[in-house]
Amino acid sequence: MNKKTSQQIAFIIFRILGIFVVGILFWILGFIIYNGIGVISWKFLTEPPSEGMTGGGIFPAIVGTLCLIAGSSIVAFPLGILSAIYTSEYAGNGYIIKFIRIMTNNLGGIPSIIFGLFGMSLFVNTLGFGDSILAGSLTLGLLCLPLVIRTTEEALKAIPDSFRTGSLALGASKLQTVNRIILPMAFPNIITGLILSIGRISGETAPILFTVAAYFLPKLPTSIFDQVMALPYHLYVIAVSGTDLEASRPIAYGTALVLIVIVLIMNLMASFLRRKLKKY
Amino acid sequence: MKQFILTVLIVILSLPLIYAQKLKGSDTVLPLSQKEAERYMKANPSASVTITGGGSGVGIAALMEGTTDIAQSSRKIKFDEKQKIQESGNTVKEVIIAYDALAVIVHPSNKVKNLTREQLDGIFTGKITNWKEVGGEDLKIIPYSRETSSGTYEFFKESVLKNKNYKSGIMSMPATGAIVQSVSQTKGAIGYIGLAYLNKEVKAIGVSYDKGKSYALPSIATAKDGTYPIVRPLFYYYIAKSEKKVKPFLDYVLSATGQKTVTEIGFIAL
Amino acid sequence: MKRILERIVELLLTISGAITTIVILLIVVFLFREGLGLFQSSNVEKGYCLCVNTENTVLQLTPFQIKQIFDEEIDNWEKLGGPDEEIVVFRFSDSFLDSYSEEELGKNLEFLPEKLGEVIRGTPGIIAYLPVQYQPINQRGVRILQDGKIKLSDFLGGSEWIPTATPSPQFGVLPLILGTLWVSLFAILIALPLGLGVAIYLSELAGEQMRKILKPAIELLAGIPSVVYGFFGLVIIVPLIQKGFHLPVGETAFAGSIILAIMALPTIITVAEDAMQTTPQAMREASLALGANHWQTIYKVIIPYSISGISAAVVLGIGRAIGETMAVLMVTGNAAVIPHSLFEPVRTIPATIAAELGEAPSGGPHYQALFMLGCILFLITLVVSISAEIISKNKSQAKGI
Repeated sequence: MNKKTSQQIAFIIFRILGIFVVGILFWILGFIIYNGIGVISWKFLTEPPSEGMTGGGIFPAIVGTLCLIAGSSIVAFPLGILSAIYTSEYAGNGYIIKFIRIMTNNLGGIPSIIFGLFGMSLFVNTLGFGDSILAGSLTLGLLCLPLVIRTTEEALKAIPDSFRTGSLALGASKLQTVNRIILPMAFPNIITGLILSIGRISGETAPILFTVAAYFLPKLPTSIFDQVMALPYHLYVIAVSGTDLEASRPIAYGTALVLIVIVLIMNLMASFLRRKLKKY
Repeated sequence: MKQFILTVLIVILSLPLIYAQKLKGSDTVLPLSQKEAERYMKANPSASVTITGGGSGVGIAALMEGTTDIAQSSRKIKFDEKQKIQESGNTVKEVIIAYDALAVIVHPSNKVKNLTREQLDGIFTGKITNWKEVGGEDLKIIPYSRETSSGTYEFFKESVLKNKNYKSGIMSMPATGAIVQSVSQTKGAIGYIGLAYLNKEVKAIGVSYDKGKSYALPSIATAKDGTYPIVRPLFYYYIAKSEKKVKPFLDYVLSATGQKTVTEIGFIAL
Repeated sequence: MKRILERIVELLLTISGAITTIVILLIVVFLFREGLGLFQSSNVEKGYCLCVNTENTVLQLTPFQIKQIFDEEIDNWEKLGGPDEEIVVFRFSDSFLDSYSEEELGKNLEFLPEKLGEVIRGTPGIIAYLPVQYQPINQRGVRILQDGKIKLSDFLGGSEWIPTATPSPQFGVLPLILGTLWVSLFAILIALPLGLGVAIYLSELAGEQMRKILKPAIELLAGIPSVVYGFFGLVIIVPLIQKGFHLPVGETAFAGSIILAIMALPTIITVAEDAMQTTPQAMREASLALGANHWQTIYKVIIPYSISGISAAVVLGIGRAIGETMAVLMVTGNAAVIPHSLFEPVRTIPATIAAELGEAPSGGPHYQALFMLGCILFLITLVVSISAEIISKNKSQAKGI
């Protein structure tokens, strides 16, 4: 085989592979949307489940997921952003920083089920929060911490050093520089990262299995010590349990669609922001 | 934003939690509790009932730890569990809320109609591996089981396997619904499910506990008159101290309306 | 004032800088604290004991032997080094009480141990499984078997995972570890050629237009929650595999591998593409100038140059696959057997934890065993993360030369 034909064959294969991967994505999305779109209605979005999980809607699960998003954001965002500011602005370039970075990477590589175990042991049992929004939010918050740190760090690093030196040269202190120059400039990119982590939080199931999720709880939560239903867990239970799987299939498709739409919106918002606000 | 958070906080703090009660435990009882709770809350809009699954074991464990008000269980409380609760100075109260029959199911195309307890024992402990050994076609038997500490798993083990262990590496499904689904899709499959889960996609098998003298198909009628052997009570357990809290809901479940729901779900009313 | 503020802020930042380290430490502490308790637990269910007749010379039994006895797989003491006597299994249950009157047992069952002792004394081949508080202590003809602790070697080397077996739970994690590696290995074998191909396409061939579609598509693929993948696998892939390969069951390792491959793709593509992008322009041009065409440049220059990055991609992909929980739980059938083929059900570590933790009473050996599984999983992923780190570090050193 001469080198021209081998090149042609190879390139055709790569092209097919590329299209194949996009194909998989559209297959999954199309499948969920096709089966789920008919289920979505105002009633589905605003009513609790009924008829033994084969009828009604998923309202409590949507609210529950929103609670968890809010809760874990409160945990992860300030901590993550502060940590990123430290590593990229304050820590210099020594061994400590290398160590911290390795740890952040490692934390990012820990499977979500381990966070579930950890959350159950520490928050639910040792600290006595019980199965609650509090325990679930803390667990999810720690889970998405590495993501928040990494994206924030990238946002901070994207700002040219000249701004820092310029600000310092004008007599501003380090804190002032960070507070008035670096953070406002990096803000859009930081937000992008935060949005992405919200997308991640909304879909996680394993960490909430033992820390917060309830099978059936139509009443909305009234305190952070309440359990809630959550979309991903709800999808799991109606996909595998229930007296009549066939009858609850539509609900499962609908739930999957709502879940995907949330993730999709987060992703689109993030990439829109990234494109719109890219300045340097 | 700040104002919003403040309002939320105020709302959160001002809502009392008097009527909240939690049920935790058996997946078998889950659909029943869920429907009962659904209707109970419709009748008493101020009440709030949380229902979580996990298995009978976890429900009773949660009862010991005080993280649930009612443990729903598909098996009787174990001796040592009862002992543990007594050691902590509490007494546990038991209420039978319904009866359940365990149906043994196969794929609808399977020709085998009846099995004795001994045959079931052989199949689930792995001594019988082909349907032709029990009068069917030449097809590998694929037994499906529930996850390890669900009450259904334990009850089947106790009643059918006489406490022997399942064969190692048995397919274990996370929930009963998944067993129905898999058996309906798999030709050589056999599984056991609560009567409530029985539907047209799977075939129930007649079971004999007297070495083949008489076989009975699972149904509410045969379970009630005692001809069907694999029947068990379903329990609610609670701590005597919290009786006041759980009483209204218990009364509702045991009332005529509550028991109507039991029948509707496919369990056997008291 | 301003100084103090700066100091405070700096302190606060330093603390938050250490947060990930603290979290990892906490995870390690809590995981191992709960998990290691397993090896302090007795291998007979808590609150119970095993008794035999004194004529029996067997002194101690391993958990596996106990299981075999109670499953009636071993029926003679001779096989365990005892006398030639048939084994009689006796389980204490409430129905035992029915054969005695209340007078015989006493008000608080205080004579129950005596009655149990009589039964054991009268049956030479008996092995009795009794609640500890009713054990016949210091009675003629009765010996209480010593119960050993659960051993690390049994835990790591055992091939049976039956955590709720009575009297002796079987905690053999070998099938689970192998199951996890098995599914992940094939996931990577599927995902690697695909991912590498797409990465090459993206990095070297795709036009601006195509990149604009592919990149967000891959990001989205990474963003889809795992439970949605699991659901998709359950209703599409599993029946497809069952029909396509004429298998008795569709819930197989293969179904898990396919879903995991799809889930690992984005990681592999992104990291591999990044690595290829870093190939210096000068090297490409040199290759082209020497008469190599584009394809030759790709596989003789770009791939060798970025090989460490590609390896890192593979390692990270494996890491993702090993830890994945929900999707695997929903499609692999969860049978705890040592895998022999791709078309059999397997049970992975994360799926085991997710399926069983909710059912394991907290503090018991089963609960501890699940935490121990968590420790194993943690160590595996730690090794994966660190090797990825080392591999990509090699890359940056190579670039320095």
